[in-house]
Amino acid sequence: MTASRPLLETVNIAKSYGSVVALEAADFAVRRGEIHALLGANGAGKSTLVKILAGVHLADSGELFVDGTPMQFHAPVDAMAVGIGTVFQDPALIPDLTLKQNLQLSEIDEPAFVSWLGWFDLGQLDLDALVHELPLETLRVVDLARALARDPQVLLLDEITAALTADQAERVFALLAHWKELGRAGVLITHRLAEVLRICDRATILRDGRNVALFEPGKEADASNGSSTGTMQDVGEHELVEAMLGAEVREERFEESGSETSASEVRSIADEIAFAARGLSSGEVVRDISFEVRRGEILGLVALEGQGQERLFSLLSGDRRPTAGEIQVGGAQRGWGGPYDAVSDGVVLIPGDRLLSLLPNLPVRQNLVVPLFNRIREWLRIPQDERKRVLNAIDRLSIDTRAASQVRRLSGGNQQKIAIGRWLVAGFRTLLCFDPTRGIDVQTKREIYALLRELAGNGAAILLYTSELAEIQLVCDRVLVMHDGRIVDEQEAARATESTLLTAAHGLEAAV
Amino acid sequence: MISAVRSAGAVVWSRGLARHSWTVGVWLLLSVLLVWYATLIPVFGQFQVTSISKNSLPLVYLAIGQAIIVIAGGIDLSLGGLLLLSNALAARFMEDQPFAMVLLVALLLIAGLALLNALVGYVISISGVPDIVVTLATGYIWSGIALWVLPSPGGGTAPEFRWLFTGAESGIGGTYVMPILMMLVPALVVFFLSRQTRIGLAIYAIGSDDTAARLAGLDVRRAKMASYAIGGALAALAGLATVALTGTGDPRFSVGANATLNSVAAVVLGGIALVGGTGLVLGAVAAGVILIMLNPILSAMGIDPNNAQIIQGLLIAGVMMVGGLVTLLRERSA
Repeated sequence: MTASRPLLETVNIAKSYGSVVALEAADFAVRRGEIHALLGANGAGKSTLVKILAGVHLADSGELFVDGTPMQFHAPVDAMAVGIGTVFQDPALIPDLTLKQNLQLSEIDEPAFVSWLGWFDLGQLDLDALVHELPLETLRVVDLARALARDPQVLLLDEITAALTADQAERVFALLAHWKELGRAGVLITHRLAEVLRICDRATILRDGRNVALFEPGKEADASNGSSTGTMQDVGEHELVEAMLGAEVREERFEESGSETSASEVRSIADEIAFAARGLSSGEVVRDISFEVRRGEILGLVALEGQGQERLFSLLSGDRRPTAGEIQVGGAQRGWGGPYDAVSDGVVLIPGDRLLSLLPNLPVRQNLVVPLFNRIREWLRIPQDERKRVLNAIDRLSIDTRAASQVRRLSGGNQQKIAIGRWLVAGFRTLLCFDPTRGIDVQTKREIYALLRELAGNGAAILLYTSELAEIQLVCDRVLVMHDGRIVDEQEAARATESTLLTAAHGLEAAV
Repeated sequence: MISAVRSAGAVVWSRGLARHSWTVGVWLLLSVLLVWYATLIPVFGQFQVTSISKNSLPLVYLAIGQAIIVIAGGIDLSLGGLLLLSNALAARFMEDQPFAMVLLVALLLIAGLALLNALVGYVISISGVPDIVVTLATGYIWSGIALWVLPSPGGGTAPEFRWLFTGAESGIGGTYVMPILMMLVPALVVFFLSRQTRIGLAIYAIGSDDTAARLAGLDVRRAKMASYAIGGALAALAGLATVALTGTGDPRFSVGANATLNSVAAVVLGGIALVGGTGLVLGAVAAGVILIMLNPILSAMGIDPNNAQIIQGLLIAGVMMVGGLVTLLRERSA
């Protein structure tokens, strides 16, 4: 095989934001006809590299080549012009404009866009709808279809599957395969290693702003047994994780704490019902939902996109009042006027969009102590143990405080830790988690699992909605499946496999 | 683009009305006030309509300019200062000049202040200093220069120029055709520009979410400068209208400061959220006229004009609360 020039290549790219070094020296090359995974823990520099490739940021030093030609992108349009299509982690759509206006703005050919929507079964989408009226899942697909309508040579997809349902994710993979056949390329940034193993041809691992490993299974196979049909499947998840985490692989810790507090043991702590919903309804979106969570229990919740799970969580956290039914805390019915009342009852929410719950421009410490200001009589008091509690939480969650002066500059994983950490500081009894590991790296995920188990072990009741079905077996005791606003199934987490959960989530009876 | 709107027909219209219900509401409020005012006074006719429309011109122009800047996610506290500057320059250089010369001065002022304010927009976007701080500062500067150009009230303009804005060469009486034309033409031009052109969409886009706008490949700086340029041009028009209305220039600081505050009030009342990205320029037009109408209405009701400001404040607060309530109820029912 001739060593043709890579379609997209960076050499020694470096980028700092103030005193924080995001990329130290990154070499990265994407060939024609491949799907290349770009992996790394939080803060490894993936998003920065993507932003440089997409023309959002200009690198401090280093070189960038497209098809062998040196390039400098001063604005996203420069990258688009040479065939780099990017779907960013945050939607690049204007919320107050209609889809059609968004297309006009970026000079997109409407028929091409609509036909790409068709690939995702969204061909009938109303283009006169305002962007902020559409669910996040749809916006990800819209963003992708818009990038595709420009007919790019390279597709950069930053955490696209995080917000997608399994079936839409499959369509993205099929699309990437198609792109590959066309002799173009795809770059997939994801925390879901199973996806990498399944669909990617090569993987570059970033750690602390450097590329530390390149997995090229085809090449290795070529050398060892003369066949060139190696896939990422030959690599194995463990090797990838090891490369991402470097020396400090901490797989053991979670396994241990997981087994320490196994379901049966937890149940012996208390059989007390901490939190319950009785016939909870909200219009046609949530219908007649009843369940209970015991102290020390992690109850999982699984659903496809748009089955009413968001509305259910806003009812449970006191953000919205149910049209029928009631919420019980410790056996007593509660009529909440708002999240304030829920928090007073010890029921706290970790929302799906972590920036919603954080004060992005304030430092870590202030974000952690916000709930302490809840009670008026504490307004003038300076809590004696505040500092200790904060340091304790930072320590316990191992929050990276390098960019501590503004929470919005922290990585997604660290932000999520702070969203959880503030309730560790303030105290709670029932924790409602809405997809807490969405778009978060392996190591932080493990830390969050271990933390949830530990909290449950200490007597907290936890309701965990997750879009990653594998998490159910890892952390939950029981799991509820929601479909069309109702609870349609309940399974023991230990026996719930991805296939039994998916079957139920589609509203189908399990094939016994 | 227009044909596309037509073909979609009634659905688009009903959805447009629902989406811009605030704008529709402000125009309804204006109509109700007009009818009410007509019943309050013994004779209601051409004189009153002319008077309300011509007296509204400066505020309406300023409100349109402020609206565009607010929609783009900014705010311009220097519009009043620009009004003074335009007013002072116009009064000084139009005095005793033939109409053609006066028109030339007017056009130069509009173009010049547009450029000047675009420069302010450029400074804001490269410095990262908040709009409110930069324009507070430039507002003082423009007001100071206006005093320097015209140290005390005076100067003048051509009678034809007064007719252009007031419908009468003396500035008194006249018909309402010219003032209403002079109000609606710039309003509709800016409205069309903001809703149908790419630069208009870009202005909405940067006000709605400027990160997303940048990621989508927009030139955020250019859109910001465009919004400030439009604001500058309309502030110049407001200054010209003031000269035409009064026949002289008046560089007093308080005139500019009041005008700035009223422009923000009109924008808020007109349903343009101060966070940017939403609302229609036309809402600010109606709100500007409403604010001007309050005075004659109150005097017709026999209320002390000194209390007008209290009523104005209550009106703004009341409308905002009713608007908030309507939004809340609509979300509930959804």
